[in-house]
Amino acid sequence: MALGELLQRLTRFDRYLILCLSLLVGVSFLLPFGRQAGARLIVEADNRTVFSAPLDTPRQFAVEGPLGMTRMEVRNGAVRVLHSPCPQKICIGLGEARRAGDLLACVPNRIVVRIEGDVEGAAYDLLSR
Amino acid sequence: MTSSAVDPVQLEQVRQRVFLALFIALAVTLNAVEYLLPSPLPWFRFGLANILTVTALYLYGSRAAWTVALSRILIGSLLLGTLFSPGFLLSLSGGLLATLLMTSSFQLLGSRIGPVGVSVLGALGHAGGQLLIAWLLIVQHPSIWLMLPFFLLFSLISGMINGLAADMLLDFLLKHEAFARHKTTREFPSQTSGSDVT
Repeated sequence: MALGELLQRLTRFDRYLILCLSLLVGVSFLLPFGRQAGARLIVEADNRTVFSAPLDTPRQFAVEGPLGMTRMEVRNGAVRVLHSPCPQKICIGLGEARRAGDLLACVPNRIVVRIEGDVEGAAYDLLSR
Repeated sequence: MTSSAVDPVQLEQVRQRVFLALFIALAVTLNAVEYLLPSPLPWFRFGLANILTVTALYLYGSRAAWTVALSRILIGSLLLGTLFSPGFLLSLSGGLLATLLMTSSFQLLGSRIGPVGVSVLGALGHAGGQLLIAWLLIVQHPSIWLMLPFFLLFSLISGMINGLAADMLLDFLLKHEAFARHKTTREFPSQTSGSDVT
C-alpha cells in the first residue's frame, strides 16, 4: 500500500498533531529524566569490587587488570579513563560518566566502573519482580 | 422479519446496542490475543482493542466510546484473571485517560480531527496515565521516567497504526447499509481530497 494513500487518511489537523507529538517525544529523549548526578564511583575488576570513591573529590587512581594498569581520573564530578593497556582504547573513547547508572567498561582488561546515586537509591538490598 | 413495522428510531437504538456488543466482544478478543503475544516489557503492548473504541467513537459518539473502553477493560481483565491486581489499576488508569483524551478531542475538534489523530492521542494518554499511576502507587523511583521516551515513541507508532486500522474499518463499515445513517455525520477528508487529485 502506498504511503500517500495512508497519508490521505489523515486530516490536516492529524498531520500537525502527529508532527508536534513526534517532536515532543523526540525532546523527551534528550531530557535525562530523573537521572540525578552520581554520588560514588565503584570499580570492579573481574567482578570483584576493588575500588570505591566519592565523585566530588578530584583524584587519579589506577586499577590492575589482566592486561595491566588502567589509569582513571575523577574530576568535576565525573570519572574518565586516562590510560588503558587494551588494544582498541574504547574505554577511553567512552568519555565521562557522571550520572547515576552510567557505566564505563574496559572489556579486554575486565574493568567496569559504575556510578551510583545518593544513599536513597542504595537503600534497597534487593528488588525482586 | 417484521422490522418494517418497527419504529425507525427504536430500530436504530437496537442496532447500535447490538453493534456495540459486537465491538466490545471484538475488543476483548483482541485484548486477550495481544496478551498471549510475547512482548519485551509488560507495558509495551500494541493496544489493538483501541481500534474498536475509536470506531465506536466515530460511529456512535462519546458515550459509546466510553462503553466500549470501560467494558473492554473490565471484561478483559476478568477474562485474563488480572481484575483488581496492580496491572488492572494501570490498565484502568491508562484507559480512563486515553478515553478522556479521545472523546474530548473528538467533541472539541469535530471533523477536523480524524481517527488517526484521535488514536494517537489515546495511545499517548494511555502511556502517560499508566506511567503516572505506576509512579504514584507502585514504584516511586525516578528511574521509571527513564522508560518514558521509549514508551512514548512506541505508543506514537502503535497509535498511528491503530488509527489507520480504525479508519479503514470505518470505511469498510460505512459501505454497509446498517450504518447508512452515519454517512452524513462523518466527513471524509480523504475522499474530498482524493477526488481533487483524481
